[in-house]
Amino acid sequence: MASTDTLKSLPLPQQLLHWAALRPHDTALRQKTFGVWRTDTWAQYAHQARNFGLGLLQLGLVPGQSVAILSENCREWAFAELGIALVGGITAGVYPTSPAPEVEYLLALSEAPIIICEDQEQLDKVLLVRERLPHLRLIVIIDPRGLRRYDRTGIVDFNAVVARGCEFERNDVPAAAAATLGPRLDDIGLMVFTSGSTGRPKAALMSWRGLGAAAQGLNTMLGCGPRDSLVSYLPLCHVAEQMFSIHIPLASGAVVNFAESLRTVQEDLRELSPQIFFGVPRIWEKFHASIQTKLREAGGPRLWLYRRATASLSTIAAIPRSRWSMAQRLRWACWYLVILRALLNYVGLRRCRVAISSGAPIAPEILTFFRLLGVPIREAYGLTEASGASTMQPGDDSPVGSVGVPYAGIEVKLALDGEILIHGDVVFRGYFKNQEATREAVDAEGWLHTGDVAAWVDAPGGRELRIIDRKKDIMITAGGKNITPSEIENGLRFSPYIKEAIVIADRRRFVAALIQIEFESVSNWAEGEGLTYTNFRSLVEQDAVRTLIQQEVDAVNARMPQVQQVRRFHLLVKELDHDDGEVTATMKVRRKSVAEKYAQVIEDLYV
Amino acid sequence: MSAAAALTIENIEVVYNHSVQALRGLSIEVPQGRIVALLGSNGAGKTTTLKAASGILPYEHGRVAAGRIRFFGDDIDGHPAYQLARRGLAHVREGRHIFADLTVEENLVAAGNALAGRGSGDIDTGKVFDYFPPLRERRKQVAGYLSGGEQQMLAIGRAIVGQPRLILLDEPSLGLAPLVVRNIFAIIERINREQGVAMLLVEQNAHVALGVAHYGYIMENGRIVIDGSTDKLLNDPDVRRFYLGSGDDGDGHMSFRDVKHYKRRKRWLS
Repeated sequence: MASTDTLKSLPLPQQLLHWAALRPHDTALRQKTFGVWRTDTWAQYAHQARNFGLGLLQLGLVPGQSVAILSENCREWAFAELGIALVGGITAGVYPTSPAPEVEYLLALSEAPIIICEDQEQLDKVLLVRERLPHLRLIVIIDPRGLRRYDRTGIVDFNAVVARGCEFERNDVPAAAAATLGPRLDDIGLMVFTSGSTGRPKAALMSWRGLGAAAQGLNTMLGCGPRDSLVSYLPLCHVAEQMFSIHIPLASGAVVNFAESLRTVQEDLRELSPQIFFGVPRIWEKFHASIQTKLREAGGPRLWLYRRATASLSTIAAIPRSRWSMAQRLRWACWYLVILRALLNYVGLRRCRVAISSGAPIAPEILTFFRLLGVPIREAYGLTEASGASTMQPGDDSPVGSVGVPYAGIEVKLALDGEILIHGDVVFRGYFKNQEATREAVDAEGWLHTGDVAAWVDAPGGRELRIIDRKKDIMITAGGKNITPSEIENGLRFSPYIKEAIVIADRRRFVAALIQIEFESVSNWAEGEGLTYTNFRSLVEQDAVRTLIQQEVDAVNARMPQVQQVRRFHLLVKELDHDDGEVTATMKVRRKSVAEKYAQVIEDLYV
Repeated sequence: MSAAAALTIENIEVVYNHSVQALRGLSIEVPQGRIVALLGSNGAGKTTTLKAASGILPYEHGRVAAGRIRFFGDDIDGHPAYQLARRGLAHVREGRHIFADLTVEENLVAAGNALAGRGSGDIDTGKVFDYFPPLRERRKQVAGYLSGGEQQMLAIGRAIVGQPRLILLDEPSLGLAPLVVRNIFAIIERINREQGVAMLLVEQNAHVALGVAHYGYIMENGRIVIDGSTDKLLNDPDVRRFYLGSGDDGDGHMSFRDVKHYKRRKRWLS
């Protein structure tokens, strides 16, 4: 049996085989189907993956080619990815929310001969564009419901592929073994599409060495082991969820639970109570809002107790847990038994050991709230081109807004203009068939130019990184002043009433913004105020709502230097949507498309 | 919002059994003399809205926890149902709820209670029979033996007896043959036109409802997702697809064969 050190030197797909041999009957994956959690053991995981890979070889996959996956997170995603890996293919995940034209673009970019579709919905999108994709030969479908009347040429069931693999192995054991030896460390294992908030998406290539280094490095901070469980619910085509659902569990032997869907994640979480939980700020805000709403509805003694608890703990919530005095610990423990434990059970975080937020800055109030509950959230920073998270707050005494320190094996330095440069195994191997973009991203010495500008801040454990903005987004007003839009936008987004803000300042006389309200909280507020509205638009068009947002903008302005103050704003009467091309699949604003679409509105702001 | 509206519901919140929230922040308005349709899928909260307006929620362990309900400008929240009926607010409930053991005529006489303290107190069964001729032929028959369509006619007839200024109609098409539905809706439209009575019409059958209504609201999960004049709703792609059953490309009904196993995401742009 491989020792831990040799295990670490193996590419991740081979580690799957290792776990299957070491702990064949232990649970590796759980998935909720029709309300029941079904489990797959490590042996089943490896069996399914391996045979799926063999099946694909039978169907004509050549090692080194990529296979696209267009599906929500599910066990088949994991089987497919590892199966593809074991036979030397490359997985390329496409967002299940992508509309058909985007699917077409990404499939053409990846040159994948095979795509795995989750169900009829995804299949319909692919069929719509299939004839324009010369590389695409085969479609594998996971859930074949509703396809009875379809022409099934070139479409096979997922289970049929696995069955083909099994048959192949039965007939020729040595050939099957030779075909599934797994990749070498420097083979490419994963193709991740960049979000494309500034231009069209590019396909970043990751090697197994890089993915393994990232998983192991990240795990030195998480301390994840075979007894821990994680929840997979954010899109698996994103490198962050890849880390938490595939690579870290493979490196550590932890259990992955596939939530039923993004909508049910709160219920699923309550049942699972994972030890490690990764969320984007939006998710943490949702948890916070849902606790607040439930408490308000419960009212009476429960609400009173909660208010007493927050009042009593507000002073110590600002202090990191590790520096609490004995008395403070006791006070917290009392409130924990009285009410906090129940709240943590409600959101499913009672057993949570490490909570991580990444993707965007998180509001300080949310951090304080969870710290008060006893779940300190640690912020992390990373990007696709560096195989996911590169830095993370090492403990709970990091300053608010910092993204921590790089973990072992990653070098980080700041260029003269503040741009973050990253060096190490985790740096990606280039964009697929795009030499030019690769040269722009990675310099001759192997330093990755992230395009993010940051500064070092002092922290108890040394210096930590603080992100300022995307380098490209920094704007210059007509008066020649530098504006960092994210700073303003994040300030606005921290308001519970503002969901999205887009700052306009480039070559303009002053700063203006397009603002999208947070429907949920503004409607609650309106109900409290006795305002009558029916839908999103009618709510936005209320004068009182404008006044409310003006107050929020004023509050943010008060904290900003004169040049960074938002002088005028427009409230969007429609929510920005991926289908309309205004945001990316990860809900990042596409500035250019928004600027084009709202050109008239923007001009009116400067009249 | 004009004070003259027959019914104004502002931001109401309804909670059943102190725990289940059925409506949240719901606002609708029924102008005088108009028909307003309230559409939505099962469990959206349409019936609850009507129950909140007619004051029968307390009998079902429900409670209006927030918001205001006004009937011709007067705050009526918390008023008992029988008082509202006497002030001219009639509620034709889903499933008809006629007195099955009484005759047609007795049913109408019983409904005359709504006239207490108003006008002459005379019960004008003739008017009911003019609108619904089949009821005249069967006026001595026990109501329980009427056909479904006739029972629905009787239920609406009982509302008319009370000389209402506003009728809340809950699923008048439920369980009826298409021909009967068309017939009843033609009469509903006539009653509205001739009597000038405002109506709030809850329906699953969006086609017939938007056929007679002047304005419509669409509800989902206890809130309004879109509202507008009937024309606007009939031309809205999402309404067409989800409520009128036409294909993505506009005209033509979708064949059942083409029904997908997934639902297109609803966005309700307005």
